[in-house]
Amino acid sequence: MGGKSEPAKSESMATTTTSPDLINSSFFSFKSLKLKTKQQELLLRISILGLVYILAFIARLFSVLRYESMIHEFDPYFNYRTTLFLTEKGFYEFWNWFDSESWYPLGRIIGGTLYPGLMVTAALIYWALRFLRFFVHIREVCVLTAPFFASNTTLVAYFFGKEIWDTGAGLVAAVLIAICPGYISRSVAGSYDNEAVAIFALLLTFYLFVKAVNTGSLAWALASAFGYFYMVSAWGGYVFIINLVPLYVLVLLITGRYSMRLYIAYNCMYILGMLLAMQIRFVGFQHVQSGEHMGAMGVFLLMQVFYFLDWVKYQLNDTKLFQTFLRITVTSAIMVGGIALGLGTASGYISPWTGRFYSLLDPTYAKDHIPIIASVSEHQPTAWSSFMFDYHILLFLFPAGLYFCFKRLSDATIFIVMYGLTSLYFAGVMVRLILVATPAVCLISAIAVSATVKNLTSLLRTKQKVSQTGSTKGAGSSKASSKVTLDQSQPFQKNGAIALLVGVFYLLSRYAIHCTWVTSEAYSSPSIVLAARGAHGNRILFDDYREAYYWLRQNTPTDAKIMSWWDYGYQITAMGNRTVIVDNNTWNNTHIATVGRAMSSNEDEAYEIMRSLDVNYVLVVFGGVTGYSSDDINKFLWMVRIGGGVYPVIKEPEYLVNGEFRVDKGASPKMLNCLMYKLCYYRFGELTTEYGKPPGYDRARGVEIGNKDIKLEHLEEAYTTSNWIVRIYRVKPPTNRL
Amino acid sequence: MAPRSDSQTVATGSGVSDGSDQSSIDPIFHLLRILPFSFLRPPRLRLKIPSFTLPSPMTVYALILLTYFLVVSGFVYDVIVEPPGIGSTQDPVTGTIRPVVFMSGRVNGQYIIEGLSSGFMFVLGGIGIVMLDLALDKNKAKSVKASYAVAGVSSIVIGYVMSFWRKQTTGREHSRIPRRSKTVNGTVLRHDEPFSLLSVPAS
Repeated sequence: MGGKSEPAKSESMATTTTSPDLINSSFFSFKSLKLKTKQQELLLRISILGLVYILAFIARLFSVLRYESMIHEFDPYFNYRTTLFLTEKGFYEFWNWFDSESWYPLGRIIGGTLYPGLMVTAALIYWALRFLRFFVHIREVCVLTAPFFASNTTLVAYFFGKEIWDTGAGLVAAVLIAICPGYISRSVAGSYDNEAVAIFALLLTFYLFVKAVNTGSLAWALASAFGYFYMVSAWGGYVFIINLVPLYVLVLLITGRYSMRLYIAYNCMYILGMLLAMQIRFVGFQHVQSGEHMGAMGVFLLMQVFYFLDWVKYQLNDTKLFQTFLRITVTSAIMVGGIALGLGTASGYISPWTGRFYSLLDPTYAKDHIPIIASVSEHQPTAWSSFMFDYHILLFLFPAGLYFCFKRLSDATIFIVMYGLTSLYFAGVMVRLILVATPAVCLISAIAVSATVKNLTSLLRTKQKVSQTGSTKGAGSSKASSKVTLDQSQPFQKNGAIALLVGVFYLLSRYAIHCTWVTSEAYSSPSIVLAARGAHGNRILFDDYREAYYWLRQNTPTDAKIMSWWDYGYQITAMGNRTVIVDNNTWNNTHIATVGRAMSSNEDEAYEIMRSLDVNYVLVVFGGVTGYSSDDINKFLWMVRIGGGVYPVIKEPEYLVNGEFRVDKGASPKMLNCLMYKLCYYRFGELTTEYGKPPGYDRARGVEIGNKDIKLEHLEEAYTTSNWIVRIYRVKPPTNRL
Repeated sequence: MAPRSDSQTVATGSGVSDGSDQSSIDPIFHLLRILPFSFLRPPRLRLKIPSFTLPSPMTVYALILLTYFLVVSGFVYDVIVEPPGIGSTQDPVTGTIRPVVFMSGRVNGQYIIEGLSSGFMFVLGGIGIVMLDLALDKNKAKSVKASYAVAGVSSIVIGYVMSFWRKQTTGREHSRIPRRSKTVNGTVLRHDEPFSLLSVPAS
């Protein structure tokens, strides 16, 4: 397998070599179009890549066709708002932006607390289109950025596969990654989030680095440093790169694969990449100060020691002298490194691992110590069903691909094996990280597919090679001697190989069907517009969120402050254009705990807190009428936990009855009187939601509520959306003193 | 290469340094020679520093396959969430306790046995493909190759049928999307989950 340009589908090769005869005899005008085999193969490759590019883009457009071109979920709204600001005000205003509309009264330094890669990319595309006189709205550009970069990722996957194995594996990798649900879940049209660009940057950086290690060229190493810079500007997950690459270098050193190429590649990428990464204000000096980046620095110093020892060995011709010198140097280097690390950590200059990344190494940490991280469902560990849902056939092909990589070890295959294993472990710890593991799984599976298909088709082609009198490519003497014995079983082998190829084709087609089904059903919902099946099977849409936000935009004074749970903060600022108290950035736990305390206290205490925060309106999400289960009552226990984490006044057991969370008549009195309960169920006791059930039947919890006669003293109802999903209340000013 | 020579000569280094203490340039060695060992006599031992040899690629591959099996079975999930080994429901008519293998009602949930058996099926399918490749190796006897091929194909078929076929026929993938939340455990549901209404009865 010397990396020759043999296509994966070589059967078509066999037929096209015979077809030109037909063409020549019947159509003389096509004689000039007869291509050589190499050109045919190039045409095939380019057309496959072109189709894959289009496929990756189209597969992500389900929600645009079903609903409309809008931004999905929560985080993308913040990214959209910042991109809008960037295109309107320019780069310097964007970089120096202090936003007083979120986290009232603290504000947020947006310029210094975000990863600008995504916004700058979308703004550049927008300006490029405007330059070409295509005057599109920035929202369209934002919506379609993710599919565009997904298509680019397939191209990078092709080149990466070509680097690791051969062009056949590259093509299969491109196809697999184009439709893999693990990637589609975060890059569907409308999901304008950092990961859309970050996965492209991740794969690009890894490809450029592996290319640099393979060639030892300074140009490729420089390119990988710039790829790393793009990754740092795009996503906080760049920490994965800055830890995986040093680990890979360490493994190469241990397995005795130190070479000048590795030295050049790693040094160039580390130094330049570190300097470039410091240009992003959010990252700042973390590369020399944070514990998570110390591994890279340690390996950098180790590489210098290796180079020094190599040079000394070259100068000295005495091996015994060199051995003692080696032992002294290695011991002293390790001692000095250890002392420096210890001093740095003890003095506090090197900060310890942050909670988010530490919980990847010790998964039980978040559950006990950081409730905000533990409350997000994306951060839960992964069950096997999520793996199967997102990978399907690739779970079979992954271990087979690992086997092929181990059979033919090289610098590049060692890298992809390490990437695959580390990312799969992290995907097991946190569901969200299945996205990071997807490119590795697709690449390794592509190796398995390509190698298996190549084996099978080589079985098919042995008969043709025997009949040809020309030189056979891989024929050794063993093949010649076994030719005679194989002749009897040849038809059987050929039929077996054909049957197995049909089996491979069947498996891959099931994969494609599964991916399309998953994309259509599970990953294309915008989350801001809810869909459900009505009684007659027709599709009903609930657009309550946008209804409420636009009501806020049009019916409240421009300096109104809105208090809601942190989930909705970004959407309120982006669509409602009003100031919020807390939003999805969750950088200030005490502020969130204050809001949580307000929601879980009774109305008088909550009114004190709301007056101290200058709150004018309160927004809650309620799913009792529609049966929507992601509403604030279901999230209420997290409000209690987070509030109780900062204010010991709030005790979680007071809201539970025998350890159970109830909202019906048997609920605890603290629960029945808290602000969240009152705001959600105000006037709900008069409503009949389902036939045959009493009024006030909560369809999301499946019980009849306990306290139906709710009177509000300090708040009044301002707006309730048509399906009662979002409810807005106005905070009344204090009564005049007599 | 520096590390390999280092590992090989560490074993012999102790012998070499004993014999060539005149030519050693190690300062600590000289210090030790003067201070305790000018009046203490070290005993003659026949110890060897254990040499570190790298394992073969296939050994590493076997270990990695084991790790893959654990990760894909949802081992981390089992350790943190601690679900029961197997679920149970009570038959409403007869009152007997019947086991439930697959956890229903939650998107990202499993029982321990369910996870381990599914992980094993995935590994079986993967090993089937590996055996197919071994079957096509030219250097083996024909009967060995044939048995590898048969074992490989049957492993793949069994693994595929056990993992995926049932999902097709019983529509389990469809039932994974929860109709409504049965347990209020406070976890925020995934943003990308579609939710479905209880359909209003026609009466």
